[in-house]
Amino acid sequence: MEATMNELYDGIINGDAQEAKEQVQSALDAGIDPSSILNDSMVKAMAEVGRLFEEGEYYVPEMLISARAMQSGLAVLKPLLVQADVKAVGKVVAGTVKGDLHDIGKNLLCMMLEGAGFEIQDLGTDVSPQKFVDAVRAGDVDIIALSALLTTTMPNMKATIQALQESGLRERVKVIIGGAPVTPDYANQIGADGYAPDASRAVALAKSLLGA
Amino acid sequence: MNSRERLNLALNHQEPDRIPFDLGATVLTSIHHKSYTALRKHLGLPEVEPQIVDIFQQIVTVDDDMRDLLKVDVRDVAPRSSATFHIDIKEMEGYTYFYDEWGIGWKMPKEGGWYYDMFDHPLKDAQTIADIENYPWPDPVDPARFAGMAERARRAAEVEGQAVFMGGLSAGIMEMAAWMRGFANYFSDFAINEKLLVALMSKVMELKMAYWEKALAEVGNCVDAIGEADDFAGQFRMLISPATYRRMVKPLHKQLFDFIHARTKAKIFFHSCGSIRPVIPDLIEIGVDILNPVQVSATGMDSAELKREFGKDIVFWGGGVDTQRVFGSGTPQEVSDDVRRRIDDLAPGGGFVFATVHNIQGNVPAQNIMAMWDTLQQYGNYPIARRND
Repeated sequence: MEATMNELYDGIINGDAQEAKEQVQSALDAGIDPSSILNDSMVKAMAEVGRLFEEGEYYVPEMLISARAMQSGLAVLKPLLVQADVKAVGKVVAGTVKGDLHDIGKNLLCMMLEGAGFEIQDLGTDVSPQKFVDAVRAGDVDIIALSALLTTTMPNMKATIQALQESGLRERVKVIIGGAPVTPDYANQIGADGYAPDASRAVALAKSLLGA
Repeated sequence: MNSRERLNLALNHQEPDRIPFDLGATVLTSIHHKSYTALRKHLGLPEVEPQIVDIFQQIVTVDDDMRDLLKVDVRDVAPRSSATFHIDIKEMEGYTYFYDEWGIGWKMPKEGGWYYDMFDHPLKDAQTIADIENYPWPDPVDPARFAGMAERARRAAEVEGQAVFMGGLSAGIMEMAAWMRGFANYFSDFAINEKLLVALMSKVMELKMAYWEKALAEVGNCVDAIGEADDFAGQFRMLISPATYRRMVKPLHKQLFDFIHARTKAKIFFHSCGSIRPVIPDLIEIGVDILNPVQVSATGMDSAELKREFGKDIVFWGGGVDTQRVFGSGTPQEVSDDVRRRIDDLAPGGGFVFATVHNIQGNVPAQNIMAMWDTLQQYGNYPIARRND
C-alpha cells in the first residue's frame, strides 16, 4: 500500500501521466480510501512540485507535466471522491479578464489549485465582469481568481471588483489577482484580497484566505 | 551627423552627438493605432488613416511628418506576405478572426479588444517528425516578400541618410514552435517530447535561413541591423530553465546567428522579453549584438546593473521608459523622471538606442509620450549630463 502511494507521488513529481493514472487505480484496488489517495499522496506531490518551482528547480515545462500527471490520476479518482462525498478545500472561479485572451498562467493556476484539493470553475479567457458576477451568484464560490497579462486589460480587474460590489456580492467572496503587470500595490489599490506572483504561491494565498 | 552615422556609432559602442531614437522601425518599438491617432491630434498633425503594419499587435507605420517632427533615426524594411497569401478577416460570435500564413488562428474581441491573439494552432496534434515535414509551410523566398525591399533600403540609407532595420520572416524559432503547437503542448514538449520540438524549431530555422539568404542579398550594405526574436521568460524568471535553453535551443540560435553574420555586416538585434538575465552571457557568446526590449520592470533587469555588467558587450535598444509600470499609468512628470533615469543608466559610452520597452500601447496618453520625447531632447545629447554631476 505504502509503495503504491509512493509511486503515485513520484509519478506526479516526475510528470508521468500514465504512471499516475495506473498508481491511482492500484491504490484503489488495494482498498485505499479515495480521500487518502488524494490528500496523502497527490496533494503532497503537488505541494512538492510547487516548492520545486518556487525554489527555481522546476520551470513551466516541469510544473506543467506534473500538473497533467496529477490531472490524469484525478480523472480516475474524481467519481469516487464525489461518491464518497469528499469535500473540496474550497471553490475557486478563475478566468482571464475581459479583452485578454492569454491563458497559460491562468491554466497553471487552475491545475495547481486543483492539485491542492480545490474545486475549480474555469471561465476561460476574455471573461466579462458580468460573467464573474453570475458565477458568484450561482452560489457556493469562495474565491474569484483574476488573471491578466496586459497593462491594457489589467483595469478590467478593477471593473470586475466594482461589478461584484454593485451586485452586493463582494463580501461573499475573496478576490485574488495575478499576471505579469500586476503588483501587490495594484491589488491594494483596487481592493482585491490578495496577489500572488505565480501559480504556486497562489495556492498558499488561497489557502490562507480560507484559513485552510 | 546623419541618422545612419548616429545609429552606427551607437551600435559600435561609441557616443554620437545624441542618443539615436527609434519609433516604428521594428514591430517591437512601434505604436498602437489608438495612441498613434491621439498623438497626431495632440501634435496638431493632420488626420490620417493609420497604416497598420502589424495586424496582430495593431501597430502602425509612423508617417513621415511625425518621423520628421520627432527626429526618428531608423527606418524599417520589412518583408511582405507571399503572393499567394491574403489575410481574410471573418467574424465569429464576439470576435473577428483570421488565419495567418502559417495556419495559426488569431482572434480579437469585438468589444474591448486591443490585439489579435492566438486561438488555433495547426500542429497541436502533431505526433511525429513526419507531421512537421509534411506540413504545408509558407515559402520563405516567395519573390513577393521582397518586392521593393532593395529600393526602400537603398533610398533610406543612401538618399535620406537614415539608419535601416530589417525585420525577419516570422517570430522566433521557439515562438513559432509555441504558436504552431499551442502553449501547453509546447511547454510539455520541452519535458517529454524533445525530438519533436527540436525538429519543429529546426524546421523554422531552416525557413528563416532561406529568407535571410535572399533578403540580405537583396539589400546588400544598406541595412544596419536585422531583427530576430524569441520570448522565453516571464516577469520574475525564465519560463524554461537556463539549462534547458542551453541544451535544446542555444545551438540552433547559434547556427542561425552564425549564418546571418556570415552574410552581412549588419548587427543582430535580438528581442526577448522578461527576466532573461541568466542567459544574456549566452546570447552575447552566440553573436547577439543588440538586446531588445530591455524589460526594466522584470526581475534582474535593472537598467543600471545591465549596463554595468553587459554594456561593453551588447547594445541596449529599448529600455527607454518602463512601459509596464510608468508609461501608461504614471503622470508626465513620473514618465520624465523614469526616462531620465534610463538615459543616465544606459546612454553613457554609447551602446544605447532610445526606444520604449516594447510597443507604445493603445492606452498611453499623448502627454506621456511627449513627456518621454521632451526628456530625451533635453537630456539625450552627448556627453550625457548625469543627474549626480
